[in-house]
Amino acid sequence: MKLSRDLTCAEVVELVTEYLEGGLSSHDRERFEEHLGFCDWCVTYLEQMRQTIETTGRLREEDIDPELQDALIEAFRGWRSG
Amino acid sequence: MIAYKFLGEGKVAPFSGVTWPDQGEWLEVETVDPCRVGVHACRIAQLPYWLRPELWEVELDGEVVEGELMVVAPRGRLVRRVEAWNRDTEREFGEACAAEARKRVERSPELELFAVDVEQTAASATAFAAFATARLAELQDGPPGYDAERLRQARWLAGALAL
Amino acid sequence: MADSQSVAAPPSADERQLVEALRAGDEAAFTQLVRLYGAAMLRVAQHYVSSRAVAEEVVQEAWLGVLHGLERFEGRSSLKTWIFRILTNTAISRGEREGRTVPFSALGTGHEEEFEPAVDQSRFTTEERWSGHWSSPPVGWSAPEGRLLAAELRDVVDRAIAQLPHAQAVVIAMRDVEGFGPGEVCNVLEISESNQRVLLHRARSRVRRALEEYLKERANG
Repeated sequence: MKLSRDLTCAEVVELVTEYLEGGLSSHDRERFEEHLGFCDWCVTYLEQMRQTIETTGRLREEDIDPELQDALIEAFRGWRSG
Repeated sequence: MIAYKFLGEGKVAPFSGVTWPDQGEWLEVETVDPCRVGVHACRIAQLPYWLRPELWEVELDGEVVEGELMVVAPRGRLVRRVEAWNRDTEREFGEACAAEARKRVERSPELELFAVDVEQTAASATAFAAFATARLAELQDGPPGYDAERLRQARWLAGALAL
Repeated sequence: MADSQSVAAPPSADERQLVEALRAGDEAAFTQLVRLYGAAMLRVAQHYVSSRAVAEEVVQEAWLGVLHGLERFEGRSSLKTWIFRILTNTAISRGEREGRTVPFSALGTGHEEEFEPAVDQSRFTTEERWSGHWSSPPVGWSAPEGRLLAAELRDVVDRAIAQLPHAQAVVIAMRDVEGFGPGEVCNVLEISESNQRVLLHRARSRVRRALEEYLKERANG
């Protein structure tokens, strides 16, 4: 039944995370990609989600603060001798 | 085996964003990206579902799994660009769908708005126009109508592109 | 999909060597671990407590907990998830002492039953022919031109995460900022895979919205 298998855009945006995680069954993944085949807007949405994840990843920058590292090593020495 | 693949401009895969290597070089998809399960391509009958700016003939290698709307293989490489698929052919394809939609609503005037949708998107969102035409056919003739319309679309493409 | 807690990966050979070296009081091994996880621990801790200064104290306390707990570490989970579980437990205790209500139960239960749409429902048509399709569709974001915009976008994401409900913030921080795998997050936070996925989905949806709103305002400038 074609009608019952179609995903709407509102459903697709709720499945995006599972799709990217590889959590959809192969049947659902085909339905998901079939929708993207004719819906440029949902393709855009998926792309935005990818860009969001990539931007979030760029928050991970700095190495550990040297002062904090020193404090931790001091604590280690205290533990070792204690 | 030989199959077909629609790509975005610059040989970019539409869902993963991966850029395909040059013609002749194999692309192997490992599961770095969990939503990718190998290289996807389609048979001629499945072309209307996947319209994109570039159409390529691809060679698939390894165990090919046939899905309902696509085929999946561990490796693939681009063989040749189907130059006949361009903006003009896409527009003509859209117009053919619009003509089909108009013809269909003659016997089902209550579905006229679908024909309007197809006409309005025939040039700007051709893949959607094709889908809408198939949906119209389904409302008229049930699921076999959907399949029949998609088959008509595939035959149109095969003819226009000499596949 | 089985709704069970993910099985944790046992320590790798490298990790076992590190544990042995730590137990023997090897400062180089400790320094290596601190450089590997310290910055991430501080960032994660800041989602639980009120200030960076307090988060630093939490990190110090957590490392002491790691050292004192080394004898008990059996290697049923990886060293990394064990360390981060100590961190989050320490952060929760500190958060509770500060009067910030961070009930552990909030991470695993509670609001998942309520539907939180990824996109405002008004952006989809109710018109019968295409019910559920976009009526106000997303507009493509062009690649950020220049480092200035890239830095602005990082700030937008940072602020958006700071405003997330606690559980969503911790999950997206661990998954998308720190790069933890789903199994690791489930193991550290002791939540199920499906819980983790719901929280991640909601968090990412909100952050995407924040970026969309920011870029729209910027375009209208």
